Amino acid sequence: MTRLARTNPWSGIALAAGIFVTCLLLALAFGPASLSLGQIWRQATTGPAQGDLANAIFWQIRLPRVLLACLVGAELAVAGVILQDLFLNPLTDPYVTGVSSGAALGATVGIVLHLAQLPWITVLALIGGFVTVGVVWMAARRRGRIDVFVLLLAGVTISYLASAVVTVLMIRAGQDMHAIVYWLMGSFSGRGWTEVEIALIAVPFMIVPLFFAKEMDILLQGEKRALELGVEVERTKRVLLVTAGLLTAIAVSVCGIIGFVGLVVPHIVRLLVGPGHCRLLPVSLLVGASMLCVADLLSRTVIAPNEIPVGVVTTFVGAPLFVYLLRRGRKI
Amino acid sequence: MFTKGALTMMRTIRPRRGLAALILLAALALVVLSVSVLVGCGSDADTAASPSAAASAGPITATDDAGQRVTLEQPATRIVSLAPANTEIAYAIGAGDKMVAGTSYDDYPEEAKALPKVGDFANPSVEKIASFEPDLVLAAGGIQAGLRSKLEKLGMQVYVVDPKTYEGVMTAISRLGQLAGTSAQAEKAVQGMTQARDEVQAKVASLSRPSTFLEIYSKPLMTAGTDTFIDDMVTLAGGANLGATAGSGFPNFSSEVLFEDDPEVYIADSGSMSEPGAIAERPGFADLTAVKSGHVYVIDDNLIARPGPRLAEGLQELAKMIHPEAYSAQ
Repeated sequence: MTRLARTNPWSGIALAAGIFVTCLLLALAFGPASLSLGQIWRQATTGPAQGDLANAIFWQIRLPRVLLACLVGAELAVAGVILQDLFLNPLTDPYVTGVSSGAALGATVGIVLHLAQLPWITVLALIGGFVTVGVVWMAARRRGRIDVFVLLLAGVTISYLASAVVTVLMIRAGQDMHAIVYWLMGSFSGRGWTEVEIALIAVPFMIVPLFFAKEMDILLQGEKRALELGVEVERTKRVLLVTAGLLTAIAVSVCGIIGFVGLVVPHIVRLLVGPGHCRLLPVSLLVGASMLCVADLLSRTVIAPNEIPVGVVTTFVGAPLFVYLLRRGRKI
Repeated sequence: MFTKGALTMMRTIRPRRGLAALILLAALALVVLSVSVLVGCGSDADTAASPSAAASAGPITATDDAGQRVTLEQPATRIVSLAPANTEIAYAIGAGDKMVAGTSYDDYPEEAKALPKVGDFANPSVEKIASFEPDLVLAAGGIQAGLRSKLEKLGMQVYVVDPKTYEGVMTAISRLGQLAGTSAQAEKAVQGMTQARDEVQAKVASLSRPSTFLEIYSKPLMTAGTDTFIDDMVTLAGGANLGATAGSGFPNFSSEVLFEDDPEVYIADSGSMSEPGAIAERPGFADLTAVKSGHVYVIDDNLIARPGPRLAEGLQELAKMIHPEAYSAQ
């Protein structure tokens, strides 16, 4: 697969798209409710209707949840690619920018203020994430330039600061503490179309980086070299960093903090299709979506009617796969 | 009757200490004796053991919910509670005036709010606890399991209140009454709980058990499984707890299965911050039987999840939610 993907630029993307569609269909076809494939097909073709529980299970519970998992997986994977390559640091995941902690702080404020009934917790998380992007941005800006290392440090610092405030609020929150803990754990349970709509805001931001694929390739050789080769380094960094921040903020605001996807998917995909961003970005997007979609499928079904937290599944599935690919990658 | 008289006398006259202790012990012995005869269910070894101990003016011994024997030379006079439920029990058994400190979550009864605090439920300060020089510390189970040895090393007597059922709470109340020397009032609290349970049982025992979903939290959807208070409460209130199918503790529960099993009654714990109207408006929920028939409720979680005397109230509320027909008939 690796050799094939490297020789033909489209084969990797086509293969990833195939895998994604398969995962999507599997996730829609199977779930803890014992609906037969025929029933699911009938519900899917009739469209949403009132007064039928099987219909509600498919249209109001399973479909939005599967779509949300795919969107969040794609968002985190793309953000992971951008940040790892801009920071030239393989350990970077979308959460080091402090955006997730900022979003967590927003959500915590919402929980403490008892705004559970509206999508307010999600909206506050989104605002918290966006504000953090701005703060980290301003901290890293010097004479019109962005120093990515200062940005990384500022992100980590803001992250700790926001986490500390969350901890203080948790202690003060008393009996609301459990709600904050559940939010921080990350989950797709209980989410519906509202969250899907919010996650859809991120679609344009998933496409933007594709226009900078060439610039990102050159930036891998360092900013100086990129400048010499005529890349508008500052503009590229500005657009990409904000894009990654917004992608992360949107992902975290709809489902809480789900680890591992944003860190590992870019690495897995690099091992499969190489570091060129023309392929790395779209394939990561598709693999991220597939991975979280399958992880959520497992989380819903393995111990039904109970559920395994999806973050646990992503780690259990992703870690062995990653180690395997690392070892295999070394031999090639 | 006899015991009530003795207690009133004690309260109104307040004689010197020695005399008070004597009367107290006599009252205690009488109360425990009469209760063990009256209630008839005195199955506990302790209930049988302590009257003789009290009568001979010796130490009071009770086994706590962690299975350890706690022995006091005399009834406790300085009590520190490490859980809101324990504080409620202390006030309910008439030991409120012996309380010297509680936790920052203590909110019932009203007087408890004014108590000095030793920290919150999850993280009480050992130093603070010691500074009140308690002769009895009422700890909780689970998260506070490691605390006991620390407190005992400092010479404190620790009683762990960690009941698993409605019945268990009554036992704990009764034993704490012995340790605090307020058995008469403790038994009154137990009687209140017994009465509430019997009343509810009389109404619902013959009725079919509607499947009941108890929402602990909505995102993720969580419920109460087996081996929880809430499961015991729902069962006592005449419901069939749907959450019991998902295992023990507080499991995440599949929304799809919720829809498939379509419970007849949907009750959200107030800790879920849900409201009946908002639950009905969740996507797809309009099709649920519980929503269509209007059986969606929110219950104060302190009444069903806090192992104290107010469970009696919670049980009655639950029964009214699960079997409104049994209550509207009257």
